[in-house]
Amino acid sequence: MPYLLVAPAVAFIVLIYGYPIVRVFIDSFLSPTAARGTSVGLANYGFVIDDPVFWKSAGNNVFLLFGVPIMTVVALIVAVILFDQIRGWRLYRTLVFTPYILAIPVIGVTFVYLYGYNGIVNEILRAIGLGGLAQDWLGDPHLVMPSILSVIIYRELGFGVMLFLARMASIREELYEAAMIDGADWWARLRYITVPQLRTVISFFVVIELITMLSWVFSYVYSMTGGGPAFASSVLELYIWKYAFAYRAIGIASAVAVLLLVATSVFIVVQLLIRGDETDTGEE
Amino acid sequence: MRRFLSPSALFKQVLMLSMAVAAIYPVYYMMETSLKTRQAWTQDQFGLPLPPTLDNYAALLEDGRIPIWFMNSVIVTTASVVVATIVSTLAAYAIARLSFRGRTFLLRLLVALMVIPPAVLILPLFLGMQPLGLTNSYLGVVLIYVGMLIPFSVYMLSSFFRTLPGELFEAARIDGASTLRMLWSIVVPLSGPGFVTLIVVNAMWVWNELLIALVFLQDDKRRTLMAGLTTLRSRFAVNEPLVMAGMFLGALPILLLFLFGQRYFVRGLVAGAVK
Amino acid sequence: MNRSLARLGGLVVASSLMLAACGAASSTTAPTTAPTTATAATTAPAAPTPAPSEAAKPVSLEFWYWAESDAPGADKWMAETVAEYKKIKPNVTVNVVPQSADTLISAFQTAAASKSGPDIASQWATGPVLSFVWSDSIAPISDLVPADEISHWLNTNENTYNGKVWAMPQYLLGIGLAYNKDLFAQAGVTPPTGDRWTWDEFMAASAKLKAAGITPFVGGDKNGYLGAWWFANVGGQELASVQELAKAVTGEVPFTDPKYAAWYTKLDEYVKAGYVNNDVMSLDLDQGVRLFSQGKGAMTFTSDGMLATAMKDLGEAKVGVMRPPKLGTGALADAGNATQSISHFVTSWSPNPQEAADFLQFMHTPDRLTAWYKATGVVAADDRFDSSLVTAPQLQSMAKAETTGPQVWLENWIPPQIDGDADLPAGQMIFSGSGTPADAAALWERTATTWRSAHPDELANWQQLAK
Repeated sequence: MPYLLVAPAVAFIVLIYGYPIVRVFIDSFLSPTAARGTSVGLANYGFVIDDPVFWKSAGNNVFLLFGVPIMTVVALIVAVILFDQIRGWRLYRTLVFTPYILAIPVIGVTFVYLYGYNGIVNEILRAIGLGGLAQDWLGDPHLVMPSILSVIIYRELGFGVMLFLARMASIREELYEAAMIDGADWWARLRYITVPQLRTVISFFVVIELITMLSWVFSYVYSMTGGGPAFASSVLELYIWKYAFAYRAIGIASAVAVLLLVATSVFIVVQLLIRGDETDTGEE
Repeated sequence: MRRFLSPSALFKQVLMLSMAVAAIYPVYYMMETSLKTRQAWTQDQFGLPLPPTLDNYAALLEDGRIPIWFMNSVIVTTASVVVATIVSTLAAYAIARLSFRGRTFLLRLLVALMVIPPAVLILPLFLGMQPLGLTNSYLGVVLIYVGMLIPFSVYMLSSFFRTLPGELFEAARIDGASTLRMLWSIVVPLSGPGFVTLIVVNAMWVWNELLIALVFLQDDKRRTLMAGLTTLRSRFAVNEPLVMAGMFLGALPILLLFLFGQRYFVRGLVAGAVK
Repeated sequence: MNRSLARLGGLVVASSLMLAACGAASSTTAPTTAPTTATAATTAPAAPTPAPSEAAKPVSLEFWYWAESDAPGADKWMAETVAEYKKIKPNVTVNVVPQSADTLISAFQTAAASKSGPDIASQWATGPVLSFVWSDSIAPISDLVPADEISHWLNTNENTYNGKVWAMPQYLLGIGLAYNKDLFAQAGVTPPTGDRWTWDEFMAASAKLKAAGITPFVGGDKNGYLGAWWFANVGGQELASVQELAKAVTGEVPFTDPKYAAWYTKLDEYVKAGYVNNDVMSLDLDQGVRLFSQGKGAMTFTSDGMLATAMKDLGEAKVGVMRPPKLGTGALADAGNATQSISHFVTSWSPNPQEAADFLQFMHTPDRLTAWYKATGVVAADDRFDSSLVTAPQLQSMAKAETTGPQVWLENWIPPQIDGDADLPAGQMIFSGSGTPADAAALWERTATTWRSAHPDELANWQQLAK
């Protein structure tokens, strides 16, 4: 009986995950053009490794990884502040979370205007006398990745805040009461109770966001810069998409897909180890 | 008086206020710009639209394509979420309340699959679906979305099902109820909030999804709203208010859903992490 | 849960599932009919008019059309044309689906890969069209339209291969260097006496403009097209012919050769001297031209349509146009740069190729040509076009330049991948200052090498072109 119940789900998984993963491995060893069939060994990987655009793309993904600590710390701070239930905290919480439910293309296109050379960010800088800091945030190859990162943080922050708040709500009151009786101040309470209690959730968030930075940023880049200027904001997903669908170079796209999968797997394994005990199904 | 103006409280208020403003400003900008005429916008990018105009929205709706894209999104989202929910419920029930070999393995596998990048899957899926004529079809896209929704859905539902009181099942078993019967008469009725949450979260994901929609529904007639919106910016490069109106239309359904069902969103999105 | 809400929900769900299933059904039938009709289309010698027995059968044609970005007003004109055609051939329904520039090539690539989709489609001339010719996705228009009709079409060489014409032109676009007469006067700059400046004169004029506090050249390179225009108008001026360009594509000569690369140094000098607007990377091509229309810059590259718009915005008397500056000494330096830009063709899988071709032909009837010009202000690619319709002297001079002498739009003569991965980013490197001219040239060469190893089949075809 149980097998019957899980069968449809398993069928989908095999179809949508199993088949592609196997195929991507196989294709990565085949001829680069659409005319498939002939094996070229590691030539596709060789091509990819020789391609500066690939390294630029991978480098950009790695750069984005460094945004995760920033995101986590800020989300933590905001969550802690809101948890103290300052006036209007519910409104703040809703507003901070709103970007997360908006579609990424919508946010991306809007930010293209906001970050334009004569967009509001620069206008504000000019208005307060910091006009010298006004830049072409998305057009300058050196600034485009940090700018995109800022948009990613803008959106993912809400998720983090919500996550931390939800977990904080279930921290037992007695712990705090006991600490206050012992004379612990705000900082001590944060350091010795809140953060340790949040450890699992923080690590969950960090791993999820690390994976996001590797594999779920296509929409941001596509809607804001398309990978430009001059590949400065290309990321691995974009690279795969371009080689797969614009150039029909299936072998090459598959090779990069395999590399991306391997990189992501590292984080998947980490996540499994962290949450492994939580997925154990006990006997009823 | 003193407590109100304490420096730390003030600092927190200022900080949160500026964060909230920064968070909501882009939405405000979108709305505000969409209500301006083209000329008004070139003259004043940031001020209020005076007088506001609905011309941009009218133009977009008349254009004929936005409604088509919208319908496509509705079709694809509804079909994907419904099928995914049904399939996931069956599997989650089995994982949560029945014991069978491979249960733990399956659950662990699902957790791992949750984060596989779509970029890895699109090319082989595309190549596989092409000879079957499934590219550019609703069916192909729905199959893919369902497949991608299953790991998270099964995981979430199985966590939820496990919290159901065991006594009810005991009682039903004593009464001689079959497994399916228990599913139908115990699990489903009691899981209302869980289902709503899952459906809301899944619908949001599919509605907002871009990459798969872009690749698998290239025919303009079948395009989803998100994919269509990304073409707006290049088509109307000099008509920024029109583009913003399009963006706002794209965001509106989920925004409305959010305003009315905020807690479902929150609950669903954090459900993966918090027990 | 609210009962009626649930019922409504159920209705939505049921209809979605049904629609989804229907969608699958309709798209699965198409590929099965395609293979047989494809062979029929390419082997049958086509008669100009359909057989009487077919005339009454209802025919539906799908046309993936692109022209609006080049020629605003095109979509409206097309709607009228379809309506007019229905009056003549009531059994033929043409369904026009406007395309977007960003996905023009990829959307059709998907259709071509499954050999299903539109009956008629648009692609940019030469490079893109030929790539689809080589993938057997196009039925040669010269097989479906009589030769004397085709002889009236202009610039057909852009889509000629193996002795056949594969696609039909609709209009001619040239690029001119528009200038603001008032701003010129303000800076004491006099327009050229001939129809263009030399590069040195261009630099000198720009220096004067900058000194007077005016931005000499405005544009937008966010999506890379401005750089592509510079390449097409200025970049090939050391070359003798398009065959020379094809030689670099095929690898006979490297792209780093000064013949192909030296001009980047000149462009780099121009940008570094501060003669270009400082938000050039923040704006799309159209937004950049809009700066000119707002009087915020003295010069910009414009197509005929953009020029017409600028003249409307600034006032006809204030706008002048000259040919792009002369930088090189090759034969191509003197050639015009008009191109049909977009080409329309019948797909190889269309079940009604003759009907499709007939509709395309209809687009060139004199009545439609006149209506086209009135709607878009862009010259039609047909010698039957009544050029007296072009009244403004600026537009007249552009039209004359576009129809006199050899015309080459260089960007057409490279494979789309090299265009997208080298031409566009190289321009962005120079405009954003993120790369040197040597970097730009190296990018071209690397991209060409990549393309060659990834597409050995197409390489053979380009070698033929290079002869």
